[in-house]
Amino acid sequence: MTAERGWRSGFDRRDLLRGAGLAGLAGIGAAAVSGCGSPVATGVAGTGPPKDSLTYWNLFSGGDGVRMVAMEDAYTKSHRDVSLNSVTLSWGNPYYTKLALATLSSRPPDIGISHISRLPTLARAGLLSPIDESALGAHGMTADKFTAKAWETGHIDGKLYCVPLDTHVHCLYYRTDVCKKAGLLDSSGNLKPIKGPDEFIAALAAAKKVTKKYGGVVNITADPSTCYRWFITLYSQLGGQVLADEGRTIVLDDDKAIKVLTFMQELTIKQKLMPNTVDGSAVQQMFSTGQVGFLIDGDWQVSTYQTAKVPFSMTLVPNIFGGPYSVFADSHVFVLPKDPQRNHKRLGLTMDFIHTLETNAITWAMGGHIPAWLPVQHSKAYRELKPESNYASAAQAAVYDAPAWYSGAGSDYETVVGSAVASAETGQMTPRQAVATMRKGLQKYATTKPPVS
Amino acid sequence: MAVTTVTAAGATAGGRAVTTSDESRVPGENKAGWLLFTPFLVLYVVFLIGPAIYGVVMSFFHTTLIHTGLGSWAGGANYMEAFKSSDFWWSMWHTTYFTLMTTPPLVVVALIMAVLVERVRHFRWFFRLIFFAPYVVPSAAVGLIWGFLYAAQTGLFSTWVSQIGITPPNWLGDPSWALPSVALATIWWTVGFNFVLYLAGLQDIPRDLYEAAAVDGATPMQQVRSITIPLLGRTTLLVTILQILASLKIFDQVYLLTAGGPNFTSRPAIEYIYDIGFTDYRAGYAAAASMLFFVLILLVGAVFLVVSRRQQRGV
Amino acid sequence: MTSAVSAVAPPRRRTGVGRSAVLGGGGGSRLFTTLCAVVLLIFAAIWAIPLLWALDTSFRPESEINTHPTSWWTSHPTLSAYHYIFANSDLATWYLNSFITATVTMILTVVVCSMAGFALSRTRMAGRRALMTLLVAGILIPGQVLILPSFQEFNAFSLLNTYWAIILPAIATPVAVLIFAAFFSGIPADLVDAARVDGASWLRIYTTVFIPLSRPAVSAVAIFTFVWTWNGFLWPLLVLTSTKLMTIPVGLASVQSAYGIIYGQVMASAVMGAAPLVVVFLFFQRRIVEGMSTTGIK
Repeated sequence: MTAERGWRSGFDRRDLLRGAGLAGLAGIGAAAVSGCGSPVATGVAGTGPPKDSLTYWNLFSGGDGVRMVAMEDAYTKSHRDVSLNSVTLSWGNPYYTKLALATLSSRPPDIGISHISRLPTLARAGLLSPIDESALGAHGMTADKFTAKAWETGHIDGKLYCVPLDTHVHCLYYRTDVCKKAGLLDSSGNLKPIKGPDEFIAALAAAKKVTKKYGGVVNITADPSTCYRWFITLYSQLGGQVLADEGRTIVLDDDKAIKVLTFMQELTIKQKLMPNTVDGSAVQQMFSTGQVGFLIDGDWQVSTYQTAKVPFSMTLVPNIFGGPYSVFADSHVFVLPKDPQRNHKRLGLTMDFIHTLETNAITWAMGGHIPAWLPVQHSKAYRELKPESNYASAAQAAVYDAPAWYSGAGSDYETVVGSAVASAETGQMTPRQAVATMRKGLQKYATTKPPVS
Repeated sequence: MAVTTVTAAGATAGGRAVTTSDESRVPGENKAGWLLFTPFLVLYVVFLIGPAIYGVVMSFFHTTLIHTGLGSWAGGANYMEAFKSSDFWWSMWHTTYFTLMTTPPLVVVALIMAVLVERVRHFRWFFRLIFFAPYVVPSAAVGLIWGFLYAAQTGLFSTWVSQIGITPPNWLGDPSWALPSVALATIWWTVGFNFVLYLAGLQDIPRDLYEAAAVDGATPMQQVRSITIPLLGRTTLLVTILQILASLKIFDQVYLLTAGGPNFTSRPAIEYIYDIGFTDYRAGYAAAASMLFFVLILLVGAVFLVVSRRQQRGV
Repeated sequence: MTSAVSAVAPPRRRTGVGRSAVLGGGGGSRLFTTLCAVVLLIFAAIWAIPLLWALDTSFRPESEINTHPTSWWTSHPTLSAYHYIFANSDLATWYLNSFITATVTMILTVVVCSMAGFALSRTRMAGRRALMTLLVAGILIPGQVLILPSFQEFNAFSLLNTYWAIILPAIATPVAVLIFAAFFSGIPADLVDAARVDGASWLRIYTTVFIPLSRPAVSAVAIFTFVWTWNGFLWPLLVLTSTKLMTIPVGLASVQSAYGIIYGQVMASAVMGAAPLVVVFLFFQRRIVEGMSTTGIK
């Protein structure tokens, strides 16, 4: 039997021929795809990429991804001699891990996107190159052309580490049909200003009468980030801080935090103006189908509801506690990972690329983000972009995560605080218990020796 | 074929052919042996033994990923932190839970498949192909395919489940379903390997036993129960331990399908080590967590050794 | 990586060949065999669905996938998803990287581990027992617990983002040495003695006597090293961060489409990721199954 023969002799001739054929095919394929053979040379010898190419890493997909590609196209059309290699990587921790590992191995992209809330950790870890402001100025990018808040936050220990692209904030979405019936709109069809807890509760109650279901909604289940953002918005309006001293000290103000959480429970438990259990898809469904009149969510959801043809508009999250106006925000920024092979010419190409994208940021603004580039933010085109430009003033009231090695977009810090907030919103914990949980969770990180210094 | 497990007794494999004492060594034999062994030894020491020792050392320091060198002395602080960290113990539990969920079906289904394939006369190659092919598919492709099968609303599984009138669960997004869903994908992916090991084991069972049993009027079911399964005991032991060790190392599928979520409720031990070491840059602490995880693997290995010794004595 | 090994006595006549004829004799057996076949076909159908579903979806136009996501039927089969992924991703480069790393690792593993296995089993070198203990200790250490120190080591060597980061740590596989050692020890001693009398050196005995006689062991180790290297995930994910150097699994898992999830393309990528080794398996099916049976490796 063949099995027997094969067993005794190992590879028979037929096998060898097949193997040789496969190997040959693969070899031809390999030669065809390698072309100049540069990946192989890189893989064996660890040499760098050709000089006139730019590698750009980002984490945008979906609507943001489409708009980013449109902006990149504007660059490639005007820079035909540069080959742009744009790579979209998975959002969140996998992205930042990959950026760090690539930088450690001296093979980072020329330009990367980062959240400004991740910037302090990346910079202190020595993974980013500081940006020479005079060189940046030579490419037309100076301090006066950017949202001041984002520009200032981009400085760490006196050095600039990023060029901000946008500020993205939490907004108040409202259904115009519901609010109209509830008598909450002014004569021009905009939401009448809401100030203070009582007015906010009254507005939600009025909307609830119309919808017969709930007044508003904020995501709770399995989304600690959103819970954190809603909490930190209100808590900052009371002037509260959570972390100090690069995260080594917890300065959580129990009274203020309890006040905020009590207010949240008032909405979800006592008056049932908002659902106390709801997940991401239910939030979208409730707002799209008019089961609620209000939604508090990130500005990036704007295209979701535009596509779904929901009658809605957007404005600032109300100032509920009356302090200086503040709202949770983050910014997408361009960073230059530390790269020993970056020379003067490449730096020039890089800055030119950033400048081109900034000047095309009106495309970016359509996704809801407030452009950081003031020539666009102050342009007529942006002012006419509704409802996106309604909340542009939030960029200056932005509350970014406090710097700490465990804070930043999607970080453990947001998860710890947000999970405790969720427990209070669902009614599983009293506000006091939730604050204690928060403090205990943060303590663990605050007392750990920071991996970056 | 006799499948002889080489564990601590591995020395017998090499020892058999060379029984004479070292004095009778042919001149140059020692030198030749070492010359032939040296390439392996160098690579082995540099890339396995070396890192293993360095890992132990690192676990006692506040080493960070982003700076070269060991950093400051930590003593037992990393171990104390791991012992006290609920996140760490949850990840160890997820690994254990996943192992408990996957091992029994991966052994039993593989056995059923092998016994059935052994009984058919034609198209054996076809069944071998169908059952084994998933095993050679890279985990990344498995992740893409099963992510699509599990997709909410539009996925094949959700559609099937709704067609029989049940509300489909949120396969990968619900904390109580995430890990079982990953386990199901894993069973599909890796059962082929155990199936082939069982096929090999079945070849060892003498045919005349079945003939004798048939003459005595044993039904095929009885033959399977009283001949096949007992005589596959050694194979089952081997398959089981290999499966337990493979399941304990779960990382790829979880990372690709749920990324440890939702909210870390499906994060296994290796992903914990990965997150701490490479995302938080805390290499020293992650090395300590690795050591504790290694102890778990050693304990399982030790239990297996005891069981197999006992079984060998019993047979 | 590898976890355990079972090694095997050298080839002897198998008793199982031709056994099927024996079956089906007793009463009720025919019915039982039919039943077995039916159950088997059900299993086969379940096992085939995921890959077939991926293949099917990859040929459907995106508009049909969106309107009828779970329909198997398409009226307009198309290759556009494949065209797109080849034109717009580094897939071809990833293939090349996977092919080079897997091939080089395979060759070096066979050479280095068979030499070591030969030295251990057929030469009376000093310290054999100690080396064997060292090998078994290595089997117990899973590669996954070494990711941090290994990463630091490759960083210090400046070998991150090179093929060597994949190849070098994969060569010294203790299981492969044990497989070779077990196989070699079953080869009759007279062959060695005869060669020695002819004045052949040990290296010559290894290359001209042992390797030609050990094809089953060579092919088993070669094939499995190739498959493992090709499918490696965690370690390549850490050390290959440049998109031009990624292997197929790392590339598929890391790089996304800027346009969001387009299922036709995602499934086309999955099919392209799965295809090479499934094809290899088709060609070498018997060899792989036998290799595994012979050596019981995992």
